Amino acid sequence: MDARLRRVNKEIADCKNDKTSNIKIDLIEESPFHLKGSFPGPEGTPYQGGHFEVDIVIPESYPFQPVKLKFITKVYHPNVSSASGAICLDILKDAWSPVLTLKSTLISLQSLLCSPEPNDPQDAEVAKHYTTSKNSFEDTAIYWTQIYAGGPGPKEKKGKASTARETRDEIAIAGLERAHVEQFEALGFERSKVIDVLRRLNYRGPNVAKLSEDRVVEELLK
Amino acid sequence: MSSDYEISDDDENYYVDDEDMIDGTQDDDEDDIDMDTFGDDFKVASKSKRKSYEIDYESLSQTAVEELMQSDVDHICGIFGVEASTAALLLRHMSWNKERLIEKYMDNPTKVLVAAGITVEEPLSPPAPIRSHCSSASASSRRPTRSASKLLGLASGSKSPKSPSFASPPLKATRPPKSAPFVCPICYDESPDLRPLALDCEHPFCSGCWIAYASSKINDEAEHTIRCMAETCALVAPDAFIRDLLVPEPGAPAGDPAEEAANAATWARFQELLVRHFVASNPNLKYCPYPSCTNTVSCPAAASKASLITTVPIVSCGARGIGGAAQMSQSQQLSIGLAGKEHKFCFGCSIESDHRPVVCGAAKMWLKKCEDDSETANWIKSNTKECPQCMSTIEKNGGCNHMTCKKCKNDFCWVCMGPWVEHGTAWYSCNRYDEKGGVEARDAQSKSRASLERYLHYYNRWANHEQSAKLSVELYAKTEKKMEDMQITSALTWIEVQFMKKAVEEVEKCRMTLKWTYAMAYYLAKGNEKELFEDNQRDLEKAVEDLSELLESPIEAENIPTLRQKVTDKTVYVQKRNEIMLEDTATGFLEGRWKWNAAIEGFDVPEKTEY
Ligand SMILES: [Zn+2]
Ligand SMILES: [Zn+2]
Ligand SMILES: [Zn+2]
Ligand SMILES: [Zn+2]
Ligand SMILES: [Zn+2]
Ligand SMILES: [Zn+2]
Repeated sequence: MDARLRRVNKEIADCKNDKTSNIKIDLIEESPFHLKGSFPGPEGTPYQGGHFEVDIVIPESYPFQPVKLKFITKVYHPNVSSASGAICLDILKDAWSPVLTLKSTLISLQSLLCSPEPNDPQDAEVAKHYTTSKNSFEDTAIYWTQIYAGGPGPKEKKGKASTARETRDEIAIAGLERAHVEQFEALGFERSKVIDVLRRLNYRGPNVAKLSEDRVVEELLK
Repeated sequence: MSSDYEISDDDENYYVDDEDMIDGTQDDDEDDIDMDTFGDDFKVASKSKRKSYEIDYESLSQTAVEELMQSDVDHICGIFGVEASTAALLLRHMSWNKERLIEKYMDNPTKVLVAAGITVEEPLSPPAPIRSHCSSASASSRRPTRSASKLLGLASGSKSPKSPSFASPPLKATRPPKSAPFVCPICYDESPDLRPLALDCEHPFCSGCWIAYASSKINDEAEHTIRCMAETCALVAPDAFIRDLLVPEPGAPAGDPAEEAANAATWARFQELLVRHFVASNPNLKYCPYPSCTNTVSCPAAASKASLITTVPIVSCGARGIGGAAQMSQSQQLSIGLAGKEHKFCFGCSIESDHRPVVCGAAKMWLKKCEDDSETANWIKSNTKECPQCMSTIEKNGGCNHMTCKKCKNDFCWVCMGPWVEHGTAWYSCNRYDEKGGVEARDAQSKSRASLERYLHYYNRWANHEQSAKLSVELYAKTEKKMEDMQITSALTWIEVQFMKKAVEEVEKCRMTLKWTYAMAYYLAKGNEKELFEDNQRDLEKAVEDLSELLESPIEAENIPTLRQKVTDKTVYVQKRNEIMLEDTATGFLEGRWKWNAAIEGFDVPEKTEY
């Protein structure tokens, strides 16, 4: 039997038999070389309670070349592209070793969710959000976990009307802070437009990246 | 290296002597080189004959470079008292910088040996250390991975620290304890006839996995540093280990022939990668960029950046055509214009062709500009235009710029679309950009239009010479057949029908010169010097167009003697004009005569930009 096939089949079987880890590997079609991995978001992180799915492609020269992984589930994380799901992780590149397995790689991915590396980002905008305003970043990450990964969502804060919650949600998806959006809304601009412009300018408050309020207003007037 | 080049009588003979080359390169001591070559008639003669637009260089075969590498390895072996394979890994780790290696090694040999992946890092608190000065820092590339090692105690748990050993045999068959049969941790194979192999770290993997891994690194990643496959293990496989994997021992039972051939090719590729790494580490050397060529050129005169403002270091590796490795028929080679072509390239930049007379900085800037502006300029490159008189579509099919409309018989110039009669007389202004437009431009909009037009003027001529050169070669391919037929049917000898070949080669060469003169002229500041440059350019262009036109005249057996005389005379003249163009421009660079209108790499930034 082809060595690559034997190895992948054994890896899939080992993963099935292992009842202690939460890692799952499933076939997408009949091919054992295109798989779907999944794992729960780590406890104590904004990803807690979410279920994350990963697309796995086994290259021709596996295990001598690394597997190709990308998130199917949308993840708000500095080392994951918010648009494509592409992942920046050393063992998927130069630090790959043929002794690593699909399971160990997925565990590494899970642990990447615990410890973001904003200095080596995949998504520069998310990384900037992470470094400049951690709380706001976590709000967005929790929200993404809720809507994309089936997470529990933010802890209920008392006394909020449903419309206010909806607004907060829109802002959270865009990775912005409510106070910033409201500030420009108060100037008479439409909320959706404010969110659009602030997101495009990557606005994190007036002192960050020398982005003045005038500059934002200028964009809003366009 | 296969070559289908036919030797013609007055081709420059290129003298290649490996022995002499080895002596001449690598040596930093200039006096030594002179001593070595003193008394060699050929070299003395060639030195005095060298033109101002030529540079001294030598061509080295892969074997010659390997000998240079070996002498460095021997040198290090002698100083450190280590094995050749260790010396080779140390040198590669230090990018063949012997001085730095010696300095670092003398300072802390263990640190260097660990960083180079030769020995395993010693434990921080060893029970019985053999070498006491162990270092905690390691510069190896595959170090504890970001997250995997945190969660998994994979291979690292079973790793036992080793003390350095230089003289261990490269291939070590590790004997697993009798109780546990060996299972390869990569392919999960557990057959009893499996051959487990390990480096000094004693991380065993089966030979099949080692071969697949090394082949993938070498062929897919062009990587010559083959590290142990265990996670976080930074040990590098010595060359002998790789060789034993890929090359069967003499007398060994024959394996699968296809597999053995693939492994042999991988071993050859590995050796080539080592040579490439050595060449890339040495500023005096450059690898030939032509496909499947493995030659190297040594050109110490162009090793520094500073030399590139006074010289255009065009070199040739000594080989011609495409190497035997590339499966390409002679006609295929001919159709892409590579048949018997000399491997000419620039030592100073990444342009893989002769860009004389213009210096690297300006040539690169021009190519960048053409790339950026290609959208705007694309329409000019198109092969069809409309006759300026009757507007019918005209296709250019030869290299000559003198166009005659089939419909209205209008004679015009392909480049400027003006009447051809104006080009045949003493006043020939097709090469010169009319600057009045630029002076008269007042507002910003017309200025940017003027600047685009200025660019298009030069680009148009640049692209046209390239296109015409290609068309001349294509046209000649057709003519050649006819000439050969004629040799059979008439009394002409083989040598007598070669004049066309020589002329086409000259036209092609000169069109390349002309092409680059337009890149140069685009950046030359306005003034007397530029005018003289453009005078030379115009004279060469006129001569080339005349010869080009002659080459398109109908060939009949009875007019061959006259045609031959005309073509030969013109070829000699064109050669002379090209010589003048190249000589004068090169001398200008040596004298610092050329002034630019833009900031060219290596040159002073011009105070004012006047086009
Ligand atoms: Zn190892
Ligand atoms: Zn194996
Ligand atoms: Zn070559
Ligand atoms: Zn160059
Ligand atoms: Zn016409
Ligand atoms: Zn013209």
